[in-house]
Amino acid sequence: MRYVTNIGEREYLIEIVDERHIILDGVAYEIDFDAVGDQPVYSLLVDGHSYEAYVYPGEEGWQVLLHGTLYPARVEDERERRLRAALGSHVAERDEYHLHAPMPGLVVSIPVREGQHVEKGDVLLVLESMKMQNELKSPRPGSVARLRVKVGDRVELRQTLLSVI
Amino acid sequence: MFNKVLIANRGEIAVRILRACRELGMQTVAVFSDADRQALHVRYADEAYLLGPAPSRDSYLRGDRIIEIALKSGAGGIHPGYGFLAERADFAQACVDASLAFIGPKPSAIAAMGDKAIARSTVTRAGVPVVPGTEGEGSLSDSELLALAPGIGFPLLVKATAGGGGKGMREVRSIEEMPSLLQAARREAEASFGDGNVYLEKLLEGARHIEIQILADNHGNVIHLGERECSLQRRHQKLLEESPSPFIGDDDELRQRMGAVAVRAAQAVGYVNAGTIEFLVDKDKNFFFLEMNTRLQVEHPVTEMVTGVDIVKEQIRIARGRQMRYSQADLHMNGWAIECRINAEDPYNNFMPSTGRITHILVATGPGVRVDTGVYPGFEISPYYDSLISKLIVWGETRAEAIMRMRRTLEEYKIVGVHTNIPFHQTLMDSHRFMGGQYDTRFVEERFSMEAAEEGKVDRSPIAAILATLAAHRQTKLAAQFISRGERDTSNWKWLSRWERLHR
Repeated sequence: MRYVTNIGEREYLIEIVDERHIILDGVAYEIDFDAVGDQPVYSLLVDGHSYEAYVYPGEEGWQVLLHGTLYPARVEDERERRLRAALGSHVAERDEYHLHAPMPGLVVSIPVREGQHVEKGDVLLVLESMKMQNELKSPRPGSVARLRVKVGDRVELRQTLLSVI
Repeated sequence: MFNKVLIANRGEIAVRILRACRELGMQTVAVFSDADRQALHVRYADEAYLLGPAPSRDSYLRGDRIIEIALKSGAGGIHPGYGFLAERADFAQACVDASLAFIGPKPSAIAAMGDKAIARSTVTRAGVPVVPGTEGEGSLSDSELLALAPGIGFPLLVKATAGGGGKGMREVRSIEEMPSLLQAARREAEASFGDGNVYLEKLLEGARHIEIQILADNHGNVIHLGERECSLQRRHQKLLEESPSPFIGDDDELRQRMGAVAVRAAQAVGYVNAGTIEFLVDKDKNFFFLEMNTRLQVEHPVTEMVTGVDIVKEQIRIARGRQMRYSQADLHMNGWAIECRINAEDPYNNFMPSTGRITHILVATGPGVRVDTGVYPGFEISPYYDSLISKLIVWGETRAEAIMRMRRTLEEYKIVGVHTNIPFHQTLMDSHRFMGGQYDTRFVEERFSMEAAEEGKVDRSPIAAILATLAAHRQTKLAAQFISRGERDTSNWKWLSRWERLHR
């Protein structure tokens, strides 16, 4: 199976030959890959060099936490890659942004109102959790729509709070 | 003299206190909220009683219930830990009124030091220098504060009179932004402490936050246990502490001078038991009294590591009316200790708190390592309490050894299920400024970023790419096994149920 994996700007071509062998950008390596205690902590041996990392699915793609550094990775097999190329990459820009509660908590204040224009980085909502007030900011410019909560509401994890369209 | 102690707290500190009681051969009583039925402090205590629903005000802040439980269970002493009721003079008084030993200072000392305005005027009279600010007035209105602000000068801090831990605190750069920041500070102070009063304090730039641990008994002995460096903070929450302070280093004259002033400040309020005097120290080594914390501190273990004194045991001994086991001459700082506060928060997402179930922990152990924690695999991190899940403390003969040991330990420590700030600490350990001990209270917020710090690091992108690809491949393969028929000797239904049982 052949994969194209992106980390930041870099692209790696990785072919999984079998359980023990991969080819990374044309160079063959002997590997041993195993989960530690059925957890997303993985032990990887590459030609005898030992690495341990926390690998888990993120918002988009995979997150690899290795030696205190987080490497966000996008892994696609050849079919997925062709599909995406056919669709084009302008989809993301048209997407609405839905603000989900990153943790359960209490809505302390909502400094915006429906229909208001916001810039990237503007505070949309203040959520109190773990005794801290956390400012949730807009990742893109747009206008506030579908405000689903009010000040004083308790919200659950991943509950949709409002949208920026 | 009591032989049974009620611990009016939760989390790692409740476990820490339980351990001291156990080692002293004392009986222990835990209290817990609905959210903490399975918490470690409940499991480790000899007795445990339910306080009420998860929110603090219905459980860990219910002083009346706690005293009732102490009396019912026959506990003679109450240890409040930190936070919650630890610095509430009314609770300490209620304990005394119920003939229970409050393991901490006298109510009068908590009141004097707890109201920061009174604290400042008290220590000023004892000849201790203070940071310029609004003092002595107690509760001032917004308009009074706005009138006083230009006299103190900007930038300044709005701080909660009843506060601590950065709650109800706001930094003000100009008079224009002050009214809204005052509102926010009052609101947060009201929510956290039930008291919306605030005061103003000049913000010393480039300052370090260094504190002195003191111990005092009922026999007139007051000693100090050296300093802790606490300048590494984010939004006024401490993240890492060390002892000694790299800024004081081998300047023992400064250390003894600060220690003597701390002892004087404690004596000014007739202080008994463990306490901490916080100082701001400017680059010319001038130091100013900031506040006194009339309780056990989160970061007390670094002092324990370098002095060899078990502060919690000493607290209990003092509360039982005994003399301290140490005099000033007995105390020497040996080696270097560093503590990293491991919080359930995501350093890659603006330190957003992270809740959820901890599924797996690989504990860091080995020479010179101490882990104080209240969690275990299967424990749920709830949104009701603070995000501290563990304290990782290391000791080394020198600061360099302590840093290398902390690096090693952070790499070993894996907590799965919630995000933690372990990568933040790892990045910090690699930073040249930290290694050189060159940091002040603004360092984390102004001169430190996870991204920038990563530029100098060894790039392991190819390895990360292999890991991500293999993990993705494994997931794809698993999914494919449901759809490819006839390639297995068992039926798909059988296989599916096996797979589900595995992943339940």
